[in-house]
Amino acid sequence: MTKPTVASDWLCGCAGCHMSILDIDERILQIVELVDLRSTPITDLKEPDEQGVTVGILEGGINNTYNEEVAKKMRARCKILVSLGDCAVFGGVPAMRNFFGEKAALKRAYIDAESNDAEAAIPTNLELAEMTHVRAVHEVVPVDLFIPGCPPDPDVIFYALSELAQGRIPEIKDEKLHWH
Amino acid sequence: MIKLTIDGKTVEVNEGTTVLQAAEMADIYIPTLCNHPQLTPYGGCRLCMVDIEGARTLQPSCTLPVAEGMVIRTNTEKVLSARKFVLTLIFSERNHFCMYCPVSDGDCELQNRAYDEEMTHWDLQPNWLPFEVDASHPLIVLDNNRCILCRRCVRACGDLVGNYTLGFEERGADSLLVADNSVPLGESTCISCGTCVQICPTGALIDRKSAYQGKETEVDHHLGVCVECSVGCQRDILTRDNRLVRLEGDWEAELNHGLLCEKGRFFPTEEDRSRILSPMIRENGKLRTTTWDEALKVISESLSESDKLAALASTRLPFEDLSLFKAIFKDNLQATLVTTIEDQAPMSLQTQVAEKLGSTIEHSLGNLKDTDAVLSLGADLIEDHQVAGFFIKRQLLNGTKLFVVDSHKNAMSEFALRTQSIEAGEEGEFLVSLRSALENNTKETKIGQIIQALSEAEKPCIIYGGTFAKNADDLTLGVLVEIAEKLNASLISIQGKANTFAATQLGLTQQPFFEKIQSAYIVLGDEEPTQKLTKALEKVPFVVTQAAYNSQVTANADVVLPVTMWAEQSGTYVNLEGRKQKAIKALDAPEGVLSSYDALMKLADVLQMTPDLF
Repeated sequence: MTKPTVASDWLCGCAGCHMSILDIDERILQIVELVDLRSTPITDLKEPDEQGVTVGILEGGINNTYNEEVAKKMRARCKILVSLGDCAVFGGVPAMRNFFGEKAALKRAYIDAESNDAEAAIPTNLELAEMTHVRAVHEVVPVDLFIPGCPPDPDVIFYALSELAQGRIPEIKDEKLHWH
Repeated sequence: MIKLTIDGKTVEVNEGTTVLQAAEMADIYIPTLCNHPQLTPYGGCRLCMVDIEGARTLQPSCTLPVAEGMVIRTNTEKVLSARKFVLTLIFSERNHFCMYCPVSDGDCELQNRAYDEEMTHWDLQPNWLPFEVDASHPLIVLDNNRCILCRRCVRACGDLVGNYTLGFEERGADSLLVADNSVPLGESTCISCGTCVQICPTGALIDRKSAYQGKETEVDHHLGVCVECSVGCQRDILTRDNRLVRLEGDWEAELNHGLLCEKGRFFPTEEDRSRILSPMIRENGKLRTTTWDEALKVISESLSESDKLAALASTRLPFEDLSLFKAIFKDNLQATLVTTIEDQAPMSLQTQVAEKLGSTIEHSLGNLKDTDAVLSLGADLIEDHQVAGFFIKRQLLNGTKLFVVDSHKNAMSEFALRTQSIEAGEEGEFLVSLRSALENNTKETKIGQIIQALSEAEKPCIIYGGTFAKNADDLTLGVLVEIAEKLNASLISIQGKANTFAATQLGLTQQPFFEKIQSAYIVLGDEEPTQKLTKALEKVPFVVTQAAYNSQVTANADVVLPVTMWAEQSGTYVNLEGRKQKAIKALDAPEGVLSSYDALMKLADVLQMTPDLF
């Protein structure tokens, strides 16, 4: 009986949720006894296995076409998809951009910013992803488990991972939804 | 007495007690937000609603006086649902983003009250109206997005501090906390006492320096007396991992009940002088680091040679240190000059003079809290001893009359009923004429009018400081005591540093002089030496100093011994009322740094003074 596998990735996030995963400290050893950690942005493998993983974890919301691709790939290659952190669950801080719109945001950063020089211009390379309205992950792909927090408390993440590792869907409520 | 029932419990309380107070007495908890033990009830947040049998609707318990036979229930479905609704309305009214707020997780009363009701979110869409953040003040950030309109800060700034800087502008959803006539806080009449920051239940008012440095669950508390002046407020020193996080007023303290001034709350956190971490001796014109033993050896050799020795100590030091200092330098070494570094510590204690004269007048600062007439003789409570000034300022709108007599410009004149200027040096004369005006019941002159107001007052107070206090000897104090006796007034001396009065008790009252002085031993502690002292010491051939921070004095000294600063030492302090209070060690000193006391003991050791000589 092979161990359940876990893969993660980050989209429009600050990596804080992954730092919070690391903040479970030595308890990660308990986790990897029960699961096989596959691809994550902070380990060697970068893409979830083609044959699929048991649990996929996404940090960060959707803010461009590349994020959409990554989210869709993760959804296709995992059984249980987890939205980790406020950006993935709600849109988070980047969603404030929606009050201004992509055009205004690009202009402010690439033209008007105080550190830009006279040749400032919005990049137009066709290989670049296209900016979109900022959305939560579940507005693009169906999500099975939501763990809010900015970042979620490491204790909550450890609880969630250990439940998932033992084949159960964790219940995130009461104390686990409190700010820490 | 009124009898009522709360949650089935019968209580008997005095008339005028509020339902909230009655519940507290019965050990029944009712959640509140705008209420605070130091403020009069406001009834603004509506969180303390309770169910009263027979009443048309729920009532706020904080402002409702008890009535005979009231039957109150604090936990019905209706009450619990109302609480959730109140919190929902408060959350959705403004922009409450917990994720990056410094008070999130434990230090936010709004968040805590919501968690108490088992809320994890609220069901009303916020209106997303942006509110301004005022970060113009160097010490305080005012964020209207987090404000719950409880007015605790406004009430504190007015009723507790008497400064009336904070207020509200506009109404309803547009209500804004503003300073003065809506000017940036950093450009307002704010005196940076920080009471508003401490009393704010949310993150609307934030202490810039300590934000994110440590939550309630992460800090240690150390309650002790403030050492910035002779008022002696009780202060809470918050530390974390041997680092100073923040200073707060102790709400339970009898004297200052939570109040602190800028000097007690913020100044010590802005320390930017460099620390002395090792003993140093001067060799070939330059200071070099050395061991305690070598430094003490140099000291003992030089002190035994010279006979014109001056020893001065800082009055920021504990009584125990000053006592040991006196024992070594006055009793044992019989140095030429043994005194404090202060320009002129008071000669005598008012309490002793009063006792000698058999007077029963009162001397406590507490009397300023309910006085109806104050005569200030040279005392300017705007710059120094500010908390005593708060007691006066906050009563002026209640009809308390303030009179100021001073030979210098006195900032309290701004709110005084009458100000009388006198010539410098004529303080004694003035007191004599005050006394005779009293005896002769003079009414026509300016002095007479002041006397009249004081005589008619029920609880008058006379405070004296500045030039009236500097030159106060037994004679002057005697006249002051007489005047106070005749007016049935409290007499309070407003002067001095943390332990000036301990120094006076120990007889360390000589005015410093350095003519013909060969060597000087300066027990500086963490005090910043004045220009006057620095210049005077330049002419002294051999100078030893015990200091915590680098200064021109330590740079010029021949031997420097590293000692603790205020938070790293404990000891007794005597305030201007003669009250003894304790300062508590809150931090460990760096390795190799000793307390001023221990450094003096080492000196006594090397000079072969035996303990029983003390």
